[in-house]
Formats: sequence, C-alpha cells, structure tokens
Amino acid sequence: MKKRILASLLCAVMTAGVLAGCGGTAAPAAGGAAAPAEGAEASSDAAAPAAAEGGDTLVFTWWGNQTRNERTTAALDLYSEQNPGVTFDAQPAAWDDYWSKLSTAAAGNSLPPLLQMDYSYLEQYVSSGLLADLTPYIESGALDASNISQGIMDSGSVDGKVYAITAGVNAPSLLYNKTLMDELGIEVPDYMSVEQFEDICRQVYEKSGVKADLPYMAADNYLPYLARANGVTALFNKEEGRMNMDDPSPMVDYFKVFQDGYEEGWIIGADIHAELQNNSVEQSPLIYFSSPSTQAWCAFFWSNQMAAMAEAAPDDMEIGITTWPSKDPKASMFLKPSQFFSVSSNAGAQEEAAVKVIDFLTNSVEANEILLGERGVPASSVVADAIAPLQDETAQIVTKYINEVVTPNSSPISPAIPDGANEVYDYANQYIDQILAGAMTAEEAAQATFDKGNEIMASKK
Amino acid sequence: MGNKHLTLKQKLNTEKAAGIICTLPFIIGFLLFMIVPMGISLYYSFCDYNILTPPVFSGLKNYQKMFNEEVFWTSLKVTFKFAFISVPLRLIFALIVALILFRSTKMTGIYRAMYYLPSMIGGSVAVAILWKRLFALDGVINKIFMLLGMKEPVSWLGDTRTAIWTLIILAVWQFGSSMLIFLSSLKQIPVSLYEAAEIDGANKWQQFWRVTLPLLTSTIFFNLVMQMINGFLAFTQSQIITQGKPMNSTLFYTVYMYQQSFQFANTGYGAALAWVMLAIIGLITWILFATKRFWVYEGGF
Repeated sequence: MKKRILASLLCAVMTAGVLAGCGGTAAPAAGGAAAPAEGAEASSDAAAPAAAEGGDTLVFTWWGNQTRNERTTAALDLYSEQNPGVTFDAQPAAWDDYWSKLSTAAAGNSLPPLLQMDYSYLEQYVSSGLLADLTPYIESGALDASNISQGIMDSGSVDGKVYAITAGVNAPSLLYNKTLMDELGIEVPDYMSVEQFEDICRQVYEKSGVKADLPYMAADNYLPYLARANGVTALFNKEEGRMNMDDPSPMVDYFKVFQDGYEEGWIIGADIHAELQNNSVEQSPLIYFSSPSTQAWCAFFWSNQMAAMAEAAPDDMEIGITTWPSKDPKASMFLKPSQFFSVSSNAGAQEEAAVKVIDFLTNSVEANEILLGERGVPASSVVADAIAPLQDETAQIVTKYINEVVTPNSSPISPAIPDGANEVYDYANQYIDQILAGAMTAEEAAQATFDKGNEIMASKK
Repeated sequence: MGNKHLTLKQKLNTEKAAGIICTLPFIIGFLLFMIVPMGISLYYSFCDYNILTPPVFSGLKNYQKMFNEEVFWTSLKVTFKFAFISVPLRLIFALIVALILFRSTKMTGIYRAMYYLPSMIGGSVAVAILWKRLFALDGVINKIFMLLGMKEPVSWLGDTRTAIWTLIILAVWQFGSSMLIFLSSLKQIPVSLYEAAEIDGANKWQQFWRVTLPLLTSTIFFNLVMQMINGFLAFTQSQIITQGKPMNSTLFYTVYMYQQSFQFANTGYGAALAWVMLAIIGLITWILFATKRFWVYEGGF
C-alpha cells in the first residue's frame, strides 16, 4: 500500500515535470501563431514568437534599458505597420549578458540578422568575418548615408568598408542627484578635477551619509579615461604584445580614487554592489537604494543613458549631468559612437530586409520621433534637427551637454581595444575589489594590472 | 513462425528489433549531444580558441596556464568547500526528514510532496533570484533579525565570510530527492528486525544505530556519490545570486569556466578547465568507491 502511494506520488511528480515542460514551449508557440494574425506585432518578450512565418520574422538583438526597449519596440511596430508581412523577434539584453550571448551565437553561426554593435567589439567581429559589408547598399542608395558626416561613418568602418551605422553620438558623463546637491547647497561644476570630486564626495558623505558610486566592474570605462590625462591614449600595444606604457604610474590615479573612497568611507563598496546588476541603469545606487548608506549621489554613465536614468528615478529626484572628473578634462574627454547597428554575415536572404530596417531607424523622422535620441544624438543631421524641438527637457539637456560642454573640450577617441583587453580589465576589476576590502593599495593594484596586462598581451601577440 | 524468410513486419516484431528501435532515440541523442561535443571539447582544450576565429592547436598551453592561475585555485577551493559542506548537511537533513515522514498518517503524502518541492524548483533561476532578495540588505532575513533586536542590517551577500553560506543553505534546502530515496529504502527494512531488537530490549535510539543505519549504508553511499557529483557541478546558484562576488569567495569552478569560455573568449582554456573537472570528479568518485568496503553493508536483510 505504501509503495503504491510512493509510486503514484512519483508519477504525479513526473507528470508535473512533463506538463511544466510542455507549458514552457506551448506558450511561445501560441504567441507565434497569434502574432502575424494580429497585424504583425513585435514582442519585446524574451520568449518571443520563434520564427513564426519563416523568413519574414527578423531577429533584432540589442543591449539597453527599459526606456530603450520600449521605444525600440514601438519603432519596430511602426515599421511592421508600414511594411506588412515583416515581423520582428526583439531580443533585448543587459550589457553584461549581451556579449556572451552574442559570441555564443557567433560560434554557432546563428547571429541574429540585426544586431547592435559596440566600438570596442567592432574590430574583433569584422576581422572574424561576422558582419556584412554595408558599402554596396550605401552605393546603391538602399541605405541612405548622405546626411551622416564622414567622421561618424569612419568610426563604423574597417579598412575602408562600412560595417556599422552609428545609432547615436554620446560622451562619458557623471550623472548626479541634483535635488540632493541643491538641498545640501553643494555645487557640482563641469570639468572637475579628481581632487574637487573627492572633496564633494567627502562633504556629501559628512552632511547626509550618502556615498559616491564609482564605476564597479567597469575598469574599461574610467581607467583609460584617467590614463588619457596622463598622456596614454591607447592602453594596449597589440603589435608589440605589451601594455602601452613603460611603468604602471599612468594607472595609479584610477586606483587611488577607490583607495581614498575606501579609507574615507564615502564610496559604495563591494558589499552593496554584490546585490546589484553591474552597470545597469535601473539598479544604479543613484536611484535604487533602501537607505543613505546604500545610496549614491553620483554614478558614472554615458550621456545617452541620462534619459533612462531620469525615467527610472523617483519622481521627486532631478538628475544632473557633468563630466567625469579628471586633472586634464580636454585630454580625457571624447565623443563616441554610443553604439552601431550592424547586419550579421549569416543573415543570408534576410540581409536586404535587415539593411532596410537600419535605413528606417537611421533616416525615418517618424521612427526617430519615437526613439527620440535615446541611443544618443542621431547620426543623421536631418533627423537630429527634426526631432530636436520634440525632445523632452532631459534630451535637450543631453544635447546641450554634448554640444557645449564636451565637443569644444575633447580629444579624439582612443583606438578600439584588441583581443585580450577585456581580460586585463577584469583583473583590474578584481584589484578594485581588493582595494575596497583594504587588502591592496593603489600602487600595488596598478603594478599588478601592469604585470598581468603585459603577460596577457604577450600571449595574444 | 515456420517461414525462414521473415517479412519486414515480422522482422520488426522480433525482440531484438524492438530493443534496437526503442533505444535508438536515446543512442542517437547520446552520440550526437554527448559523445561528439565531448570529442570536440577535448580538441578545443588543446587549442587557442576565442569562439570568433577558428581554433589553433597549441598543445598543453591551456593546462599549463591553469596551474599558474591564482583564480583557478581559488575557484577550486570554493567548490570543494561548497561540496564538502553542503552535501553531508543535505544528506543528514534528508535522512532526518525521511525518518519523520516514514510513519504513515493521513497527511504524510502531502508532506512528502511538499518537502520534495524545493528539489524540483531549487535549481531554477527564479528561486535563485528569490534567494538573492531574501538575503539582500533590505531583504526578509535582515528584517527578521532587525525585529529580533539586531541594529545594523548585515550584508550577507557582500561579506566574504557569509556569502558562500547563503549558497550552502540553498543547496541544503534542496534535500527532497535524497529524502525520497531514503524513504523508499527505509521501507525495505523488514519489520521483523525491529521486533527482534525490541525483544532484545533495544530502545528506539539503539534500534536506529544498530538496525536502521547499517542497513541504510548502501543508500547513503548512492546518495553521497550522486550528490557529490551534483555539488561539484553546481552553477546556477553562484551565477545568478553572487556571480562569484565578493572577491571570488563564491566563484564556483563552473562559473569560472563559464566566465573564461564566454565572457573573456578563452574558450579553449574553458574546455581544458572542463576536462580537469571531469578528472577531479572521477577521482573523488573513485575514492568514495574505494572506501566503500569499510562502511557499506551490501548483504541481504
């Protein structure tokens, strides 16, 4: 009798498992069947309709935030409306997950036809033959690039061929809690030096207990920025297989900020970051916190992320924008293509359709009235002018920041990073953890990064 | 049958054909999804391979790199600690609950199903995220401790001393499958042995140590081997809850492997890591089997 109970129990458990399994696959299938019937609806759901009607569903993947996901999906909906029969399988992801997902897809020759590309990965992907050459389409006029400046087109080109179309222009920017700073009577000036910045951090911490959030697990951002102020524009020397410096001193400044923050207590530590998704706008301690000790008055981001940050912030919090601190702002600051749109080389029959979508996103004023420069100031000057009056206050602040604060006071962008660089940056991130635990000094961390960097670059030569 | 030349239909009706046809889906799947990928992975482990460009043979370089890599040893230490603490705890827990649920009442069936539930859902991403929220600075665990008089919330996930324990507790909580196996073998023990023990004047405690436990050793052994292998291969918990943070104190071996393979595009090195793990698990299983004759009772009842 007991055995029978056990047996039926096990059966029930197994049936439940099978049912759960079926449920998982049944739902998207149903969605897939429904989508074309409902007038081609693009879904932002991760479990979106899987290739519902064969070739007409374009997979489009990007990294981003809630605001970007909503606006991009809406723009794609508009495209489907104007081009009946074309549907999208939208697959947004967070930055951290995006690249492992993409490289795995690349290995399996299953890259989505439409994808978002970043400056730091462009060279690697092009040299591996993973992106389609867009030059013929530009020559034939299928992809209209006539309103994009040559400099911007160049940033998406490798060896004279265009592989990526800039989605928007942006710049490093320090986003801060303007409401709090006004309350405390502290002014945050543009072009701050690191000393001025630390001084503000101390004041804010003393007066309110609110800390500062420095880039965590993101050495690839602020480390090269400060190295540029020390005259090192490229950190890595691929040809000679070493770090592009004679000794670690140009990197000390970077680690020193973290050490000061740790010693004086005003930095958001590894303990708080352990609970957050790294480098996510929505989970930035600037807007996502439970008490002053987990709150930050500032966060290191990019100008195009301000819209999402303002959107995600509590209603009574105004977000301000200024430059990342550096002793030589002109040397450190730069304009950057925030991201590109690319077509993968295994798009096959969908290549033409994918190019058409990029043309739409780049040149359609209607589409950009929805996107509203969330990816950065639009590359096409015609589109940028057309949507300028429509932009909300935040977007106008960003445009003003780019045009008036960064552009007149910046240097050209550093060259794209070579293979192995991200691994070096990961070591730097681990040393930051050591500094935040008081187990390493800035000098030791710089030395260790220098040694590891030389070792890794030598192995990739 | 009479007829020497069998028709196709008759051939299909022979026992041999039925056996082959029924196992074919598994055999094809096994070859295609296990043996072939394993062979490819073994080849990659001797290559410089970054996913995006074709692999280049580089001999033992990946294996040499491993032994000079500090993080490799850290992840190995973390994984051993996790497996050697969580597995025994899980088994003890499973056995205790099995003993309690052994007695049949009307509710036993429901309780068994309930206790089995964490095992079914425990490895899932959803539970991992739930766990992360439970132990967050403003999570339920801290709220409860604050009610009990603790002053400052503790950063369970951010402290190198406590982070690994949140993962161990999660693993111990998933004791259901071992519990079910214990339950079924508890039922195998003949009642006559307990009756005999009772007549000899043994109390419940003595009955447990002298009758139940010795007769359970083969089940304990089975559970130990299976769970140990699972423990070494644990991935989801660390990847979702802590991502190896803080300071690599929760960096499971498999997470390190994943990071190297997919995040830093050292896929050849990642493959080498996988093969070393296979060797380690093989070795541990072998050691367990070697100790078997000292403590496992395999005779009849």
